[in-house]
Amino acid sequence: MKHFTNLGKAVAAGALAVAMSTAAMAADGLNFPNLTYRTGPFAGTGTPIMNGQRDYMLMLNERDGGIGGVPIDYIECETGYNTNKGVECYEKTKGAALVTQPWSTGITLQVMPRTNVDRIPILAPGYGFSPMSDGDTFAWAFNPPVSYWDGAYMILDYIAGGDMSSLKGKKIVLLHLDHPFGKEPIPLLEKLAEMHDFKLVPIPVGLKEMQNQSAQWLQIRRERPDNVVMWGWGAMNAGAITEAVKTRYPMENFIGIWWSGSDADLQNVGAKAKGYKSVSFNAPGNFPVLEDIRKHVVSKGNSEIKSEADMDTIFYQRGIIISMILAEAAKTAQDNFGEKNINAEQLRWGLENLDITAARLEELGMKGMTPPLKMACDNHTGHSGAWMLEWNGEEFVQASDLLTPNRELIKPLELEKAADYAKNNAPWPGRGDLACN
Amino acid sequence: MFYRTSGQFKTTYESDQALFPIKQDMVLLVVILAAMYVIFPMFASEFTYKALLVPVLIYSLASLGLNILTGYAGQLSLGTAGFMGVGAYACYKITTIFPEMNIIVALFLSGFFSAAVGVAFGLPSLRIKGFYLAIATLASQFFLVWLFEKWAWLYNYNASGAIEVRTMDIFGLVVTGPNASPMVQYYFVLGIVSVVTFAMINLTRGRYGRTWKAVRDMDIAAELVGINLMRAKLSAFAVSSYIVGIAGALMVFFWKGAAEPNLFDIPMSFQIVFIAIIGGLGSVMGNFLGAILIVALPVVLNLLPEMLGLSIGSATMEHVNVMVVGSLIIMFLIVEPHGLARFWALIREKLIIWPFPH
Repeated sequence: MKHFTNLGKAVAAGALAVAMSTAAMAADGLNFPNLTYRTGPFAGTGTPIMNGQRDYMLMLNERDGGIGGVPIDYIECETGYNTNKGVECYEKTKGAALVTQPWSTGITLQVMPRTNVDRIPILAPGYGFSPMSDGDTFAWAFNPPVSYWDGAYMILDYIAGGDMSSLKGKKIVLLHLDHPFGKEPIPLLEKLAEMHDFKLVPIPVGLKEMQNQSAQWLQIRRERPDNVVMWGWGAMNAGAITEAVKTRYPMENFIGIWWSGSDADLQNVGAKAKGYKSVSFNAPGNFPVLEDIRKHVVSKGNSEIKSEADMDTIFYQRGIIISMILAEAAKTAQDNFGEKNINAEQLRWGLENLDITAARLEELGMKGMTPPLKMACDNHTGHSGAWMLEWNGEEFVQASDLLTPNRELIKPLELEKAADYAKNNAPWPGRGDLACN
Repeated sequence: MFYRTSGQFKTTYESDQALFPIKQDMVLLVVILAAMYVIFPMFASEFTYKALLVPVLIYSLASLGLNILTGYAGQLSLGTAGFMGVGAYACYKITTIFPEMNIIVALFLSGFFSAAVGVAFGLPSLRIKGFYLAIATLASQFFLVWLFEKWAWLYNYNASGAIEVRTMDIFGLVVTGPNASPMVQYYFVLGIVSVVTFAMINLTRGRYGRTWKAVRDMDIAAELVGINLMRAKLSAFAVSSYIVGIAGALMVFFWKGAAEPNLFDIPMSFQIVFIAIIGGLGSVMGNFLGAILIVALPVVLNLLPEMLGLSIGSATMEHVNVMVVGSLIIMFLIVEPHGLARFWALIREKLIIWPFPH
């Protein structure tokens, strides 16, 4: 019988070790885990953002000794965009975590109900789903600075040149990933199509046909739309842009959401994609904050970027903005509670009461890099607006003034869908005992 | 010496046909069950439940379902994940249409939906065999995922396009939703897996199991001795899809809490086929061994560097992980092409005669 008892012991010891290792993860400092995807089919979009996020946090540690003097414990947990790994990573990091950044709509949906119970704020910048803006329903969830519905509105606003009624009679194709993320803008676009009397043609691209969109572009050629709006992700973007070039679709009428605006997707086609546009909540440029990162992180060889030129990409800089939002929320919480080592609940307050003014952006060396952002109890997104960027054949350049969403129009839809979500996940706790300010 | 079978005499037919005719097997099973039911819950953290124990059990169950079809009845299927999806969506619809219904009842009912769909897609098996059948089941895989995406009624016209699990309880004990304790969910899954496994061990030993094996080994011979091929094949599809459907429902309701349609896409089908093949086709225990290797090992490997105090980037570790698990799979298949269950059977044989070589 010895054999079996040994086996049993080994198994029990293994389980014990696993149990202890998760408890031992708690370290000093502000624990900010990030559920990254540097591997797998979407790594191309993920890696530059994660590099930006990581480098900004490392820079704060090097330059200022963290936030308010407390070092940041920035942890990456690799999911490869896989929802199974997402559960694993969330459970692994949540012990000491002040925040969770799930980085995939699927993982967000799985994790969101748990965050209410574990009392950890969930930060989903520029993704998640639009109704998360309703802070009274989603007390622990934040998706600054703009939501997908805001994005859809701003794109149409840009197409219409600020006057939505001019869309009357036009035909707009929505080329979208056939996935919850890609279908997100449809309810709002349908509503707008009805209000302003334009024709909306959604054309889905299946996850398996992302790289071969000839059928979709054939349909676009047949439809002859005035504009194509794209909700793409990962390999789909490069696929669509190459097809558009091949079928000679007029690039200036082709506009993508912010995740469809990665430099890497356009560099392959270069000058042929001149005129392609993407709405973005960060504008490219050479900002003072980049100098600090170069000095404190990149030149010391602590960054994971391949070459310094990567720092000029839109996605890298977007990663910086995302980390900046989190760092500023932590600072807001520290200032308010007078405590340096804040907890998750205090960080939640910090996110809810975040106010990044233009003056503060200038202090941070980010003037003009992203619009000022102000959140509130009933506004967990901020809806700060975005710019239209245009590909000039070599790089993205800013092509519009700040666009802002029409909140009066979008908010009722958000409240309605938030109520639906709460109903589906009944009993949903809502705000509960959390004070508003 | 430790596994000595001499002296264990069977004096009745019952004792000869017992589930475990050898005493040591029985002891081993008791030890494993005691570990699962008593020892693990004493030490397990929330992470252990959510990332190791519960997924291993659910994948084992799904693989058991596939094994009934592929390992016992010899019908190759690549549509497992799709049938899991049918179970999950059926359970979701049942619990939303009849919110008062006990989740256990809903779970076992949802199995019937996946069984029906399984039988429907099993019909081609009456005409085609082998790789051709695999393609037909592959078609079901594509079709079902497409259906989960397009048929909005299935997810109650949810804005997110996903199914979400509300809080449900059994006699006051919360078992699903965010408030359920992982330990309760683990015991629930463990209970269901135990019951189904016990039923399947007996089913595969009995008349149906023998019919399936006869069809697997040579269908013409089976037909000649009077086995109704249609009934044998379709019953294998029904039983297999039933179990797979329950596994799918368990996955969404007791583990993940929400699911998008593409969760049930081909990668998961392949993963389950791998578990069944590496564990051992035509074996019940193999499914569990295979699931431990494919599902649990990567999780444990991810924890290793931290336990050893090494700091390796999470992404690098992921790459290393894929390489290690991949080479382990190849190694196991070279060492024992019939899977881990066969591997264990060899060890057991050696133990029985140990220390004498013959």
